[in-house]
Amino acid sequence: MRSIALALSCLGALFTSSSAADSNLTKPLSSKQILSSSFKPPQVFRNVNLVRNVNLDKEYPRETINVIIENVDAQPQAEYYLPFEAGLIARVGGLEVRDKKDASKGAFQVEVVEYDTYSPTEFYLIHLPEPLAPSAQQTLSISYTVLSALEPLPASIGQMEQQYVQYTFSAYTPSAYPTSKQKTKIKFPSANIPNYTILPSPNADGTEDPQRQGSTFTYGPYSDIPAGAAELVSVRYEFTKPLIHATLLERDIEVSHWGGNLATEERYWLWQMAAYANPPTSALKELKVPLHVGVTNPYFTDDIGNVSTSRFRSNDREALLELRPRYPVFGGWKYSFRIGWDADLSGYLRRLKTGDGYVLKVPFLEGPRMAEGVEYGKVVVRVVLPEGAKNVKYETSVPLVSSDISLHRTFMDTHGRTTLKLTALNLVDEWRDRDIVVTYDYPWTAGFRKPLTIFAAVLVVFAVAWAVGSVDTSIAARQKR
Amino acid sequence: MAVAVGDQFLQGTTGRNTRGMLRVIILCTIAAAAVSSRLFSVIRFESIIHEFDPWFNFRATKYLVQHGFYSFWDWFDDRTWHPLGRVTGGTLYPGLMVTSGVIYHILRLLALPVDIRNICVLLAPGFSGLTALATYLFTSEMSDSPSAGLLAAAFMGITPGYISRSVAGSYDNEAIAIFLLVFTFYLWIKSLKNGSAMWGALTALFYGYMVSAWGGYVFITNLLPLHAFVLICMGRYSPRLYVSYTTWYALGTLASMQVPFVGFLPIRSSDHMAALGVFGLLQLVAFVEFIRYQLPSKQFQTLLRSLVLLIFVVAFGGLVLLTVSGTIAPWSGRFYSLWDTGYAKIHIPIIASVSEHQPTAWPAFFFDLNMLIWLFPAGVYMCFRSLKDEQVFIVIYAVLASYFAGVMVRLMLTLTPIVCVAAAMALSQILDTYLVAKSPSPQVQANGSAETVKNTASSMLPESLRSTRSPLVGIYSYTSKLTIVGSVTAYLLLFVLHCTWVTSNAYSSPSVVLASRSPDGSQHIIDDYREAYYWLRQNTPQDAKIMSWWDYGYQIGGMADRPTLVDNNTWNNTHIATVGKAMSSREEVSYPIMRQHEVDYVLIVFGGLLGYSGDDINKFLWMVRIAEGIWPEEVKERDFFTPRGEYRIDDQATPTMRNSLMYKMSYYNYNSLFPAGQAQDRVRGARLPAEGPQLSTIEEAFTSENWIIRIYKVKDLDNVGRDHASAMAFEKGNKKKRPSKRKGPRVLRVE
Repeated sequence: MRSIALALSCLGALFTSSSAADSNLTKPLSSKQILSSSFKPPQVFRNVNLVRNVNLDKEYPRETINVIIENVDAQPQAEYYLPFEAGLIARVGGLEVRDKKDASKGAFQVEVVEYDTYSPTEFYLIHLPEPLAPSAQQTLSISYTVLSALEPLPASIGQMEQQYVQYTFSAYTPSAYPTSKQKTKIKFPSANIPNYTILPSPNADGTEDPQRQGSTFTYGPYSDIPAGAAELVSVRYEFTKPLIHATLLERDIEVSHWGGNLATEERYWLWQMAAYANPPTSALKELKVPLHVGVTNPYFTDDIGNVSTSRFRSNDREALLELRPRYPVFGGWKYSFRIGWDADLSGYLRRLKTGDGYVLKVPFLEGPRMAEGVEYGKVVVRVVLPEGAKNVKYETSVPLVSSDISLHRTFMDTHGRTTLKLTALNLVDEWRDRDIVVTYDYPWTAGFRKPLTIFAAVLVVFAVAWAVGSVDTSIAARQKR
Repeated sequence: MAVAVGDQFLQGTTGRNTRGMLRVIILCTIAAAAVSSRLFSVIRFESIIHEFDPWFNFRATKYLVQHGFYSFWDWFDDRTWHPLGRVTGGTLYPGLMVTSGVIYHILRLLALPVDIRNICVLLAPGFSGLTALATYLFTSEMSDSPSAGLLAAAFMGITPGYISRSVAGSYDNEAIAIFLLVFTFYLWIKSLKNGSAMWGALTALFYGYMVSAWGGYVFITNLLPLHAFVLICMGRYSPRLYVSYTTWYALGTLASMQVPFVGFLPIRSSDHMAALGVFGLLQLVAFVEFIRYQLPSKQFQTLLRSLVLLIFVVAFGGLVLLTVSGTIAPWSGRFYSLWDTGYAKIHIPIIASVSEHQPTAWPAFFFDLNMLIWLFPAGVYMCFRSLKDEQVFIVIYAVLASYFAGVMVRLMLTLTPIVCVAAAMALSQILDTYLVAKSPSPQVQANGSAETVKNTASSMLPESLRSTRSPLVGIYSYTSKLTIVGSVTAYLLLFVLHCTWVTSNAYSSPSVVLASRSPDGSQHIIDDYREAYYWLRQNTPQDAKIMSWWDYGYQIGGMADRPTLVDNNTWNNTHIATVGKAMSSREEVSYPIMRQHEVDYVLIVFGGLLGYSGDDINKFLWMVRIAEGIWPEEVKERDFFTPRGEYRIDDQATPTMRNSLMYKMSYYNYNSLFPAGQAQDRVRGARLPAEGPQLSTIEEAFTSENWIIRIYKVKDLDNVGRDHASAMAFEKGNKKKRPSKRKGPRVLRVE
């Protein structure tokens, strides 16, 4: 029995090591081009018209750039560069580019282009699906979020005061190409905007810059802005909600075929970035985590045990986990915790009609849904598949920075469970709806590895006990009866 | 039919096997009951470490598991007793941590990665199952009755006296020590009965384990010699005693000296001298016995007399000399407090301030042992009826442990095993007599119950030799059988009920988490301690020093993971007194003390809002007393009482009280919760002064939901070199007071 189990585990090891080398369907963002620091994007495009929308409703600015680009080169071109300042690019997340005219085409392939040494700007490189013919035009819709962008000002306030935050950006949309016409619209959460930069020169229409209508500002329009031009402006506005920033989220999804269970555990390291000394309004007092219907056994703990202040509402329509941190998290404070729950596996796993293949579809990101939003500096998702699963492939629309398949040895494992580890940076809670689809092969023999091993082990224990029991340890010869 | 079937299974070899099987099943059930009755707190709250000391043990265990055994052995902990640190590896009993560490690694090896916290929480219940087993073995050695052992095991499993220290989460030395205590005694009896060096060596082995686990090992160290001594005095010297005792003493002493905390104590402290003395005495007695065989009795008498006299004088003189010269340490203070209950209060106030060191109240015996306490004397009495070597042990143990349990609440723990054993012996005697369905065989005349009574009585009072030789004890009447058995069953059921009730209500609170009932009957958990500790853990620098009263030191170390000034180890009275002085002095005095000790945060417990009586204001007098012990000139307990001798916190409070740091920290900003002039302290039931205290050298950093924990941050020195009081005044816009001419009190000039 033992030898069979051993042989099985050896076989499993062989297969897994070979499957790890397989390519995956979704390519992570890790392949970075290294360019020299003197690099300048070839001037092959022109922005005919550019409209940027900055939405400040949530704690992270969401920027959408709709731009009509035109190929001014003689050759068809497919590489469009999008510049960011060096410090900013590390905080830009969830960058997606689509064709404005044809959104169904899916997101374009995007990668970060990195310089070898200190460089003032860095670029995202957008690969157009089909090269753009000379003097042809295409409308791109570029959307991204900027994390840790709001700065409370003043940084420390009294109990009864309102919190104001400041956001600094360039009035001219940064671009690597000359822009014929552009403007920036800013949407604020309220009309209480005490301070904002008024540019000295009027805009192209000859009116004061910016234009103000209630809670919406417009910087521009500007005409004929050269490539790389910048004009820093800042706005300071009332924002009474907490600024929740998760520096790290670790998310484990564990599949159990025997138990028919999908166990999820999430570990958060939160940092409240609001103004210090804490008016009650901007303290983080409650997190609401909507889960899939049918979720059971939720828990909410931290390093020193269970946190008793949580409620779980579960019925046919919703499953809502209401968490209250141990202490109200005021500005500048940190709080780390873990939550977890079980779910019926049948809702997430499907068996392929042929072969031993399975398809698992799980959300990439769950976690709290807050009116002010939640931003995640780094998200690490681990999908722990059953022991003996092989030929693992995955697909997701979330931009990843790395992926890795390894073994994770835990309860009663002889060999270890196949684990898929995905890492993404700078996400926000809007990415909750994205899924990971994992396909893998799980032969039925692998399912019997564990019971057989345990059976063999118990057998060995009995045999040893019998052998030890029948050894005569007395010094004198035993008397014949 | 049933009887016939039963007979088939209960006779012969099959019968022996069946009974053995039944015994195993019953013992497993008892162990399961013992474990499960200790899980109240896990089910009600969660798997959490309880109280104070267990938090240190847990922290040490985590260190052991993370860093390995050798670095645990050499562990110098710079995160306690700042700035002194503590040589933790050399000042603890490592048995508990090593046990959990071994279990942890074995489970890991079996691919069962159980969290170390769960191992620590469930260690005590697990070992209580083993204790029940050990009690069974021990009692079976004492009594011939087949039921005594099982009864004792069942009693030991659920009696509250033992549960009080072994509920899940109570991860303290006693968790494994009681098992080791009982098991060592079992091995001792076994080796004494057989005169076997192997059993003696096993005794020594478990004695060594016990030494590594609990300071209470001294109880064994003194009880076994006492037993041997009494046996010698009773003229019961035998080679068996010689073999078992010398084996145990030689090996056990060596084993105990391997523990760094014990070290050379076994040969240098008075607590251990009895064992050494009896060891020497045994050699003498053995020698004398040897000579007795060689010499005629007349010469022998003279020789014996002179020899005994000489050796006694030499040995005693030597002991006194060594004690006086300091080679042998005199009895420790804790030992004196066992004989004189008032000793600790005068000489060691820290020990006296711990509630578990107080003398036991009488109801506590009934509370912890219920019906066992009145069966106990009967059991001890029955030991006199067949007084063999092992029964002598029970008698000695019973007498000593009863005395100690009366002196100190926590020593109820050492009494419990013997009470269970003795009570089980008494009860099994009753059951064996009354539970026999058959009438006694009419060997003597069986004329009726009157005769039986007479017979029974004759067995108790040995009037005639014949009746004592073969006493016939037996009951004929079914009515009396039923009555007695029925009442015993009722008592047993009541006992179970009582034990469950006590365990559930008195001993299953983690004390870190407080539970209260909402008006609608649902449980509401007050979790202020962990709220504050977790805040410290998350929002202060890793090496921020926390000053608090020593009670909370271990918890801060365990849950908040921050360095503390003093903790529950209480090895340095002066350091504790320093904290006491800082708490009980004016801010201007406290601030330099806190600066000198690099204190970053001060943590206090305040129950005034919730009515939580175990808070720091109620403990305040101990701080004052302990500080006064070191600085009688600067801190005076008298100043904290009103002229009428009352301890008040309202506007009648003395100026010393109102200016003390503890008072100020407790009531700072407390007024703001109430309408003006209505501030109320719900523990002391007093109305506070209209104007709350002002703080200048520290500032509020955190206050928990129910105000139980308040944390203050010690301010840094002022930027422009002012003292904090004037800086505060400046901030508030008060005009700087002109330094007017000091009008001190008039002093009579004496030249």
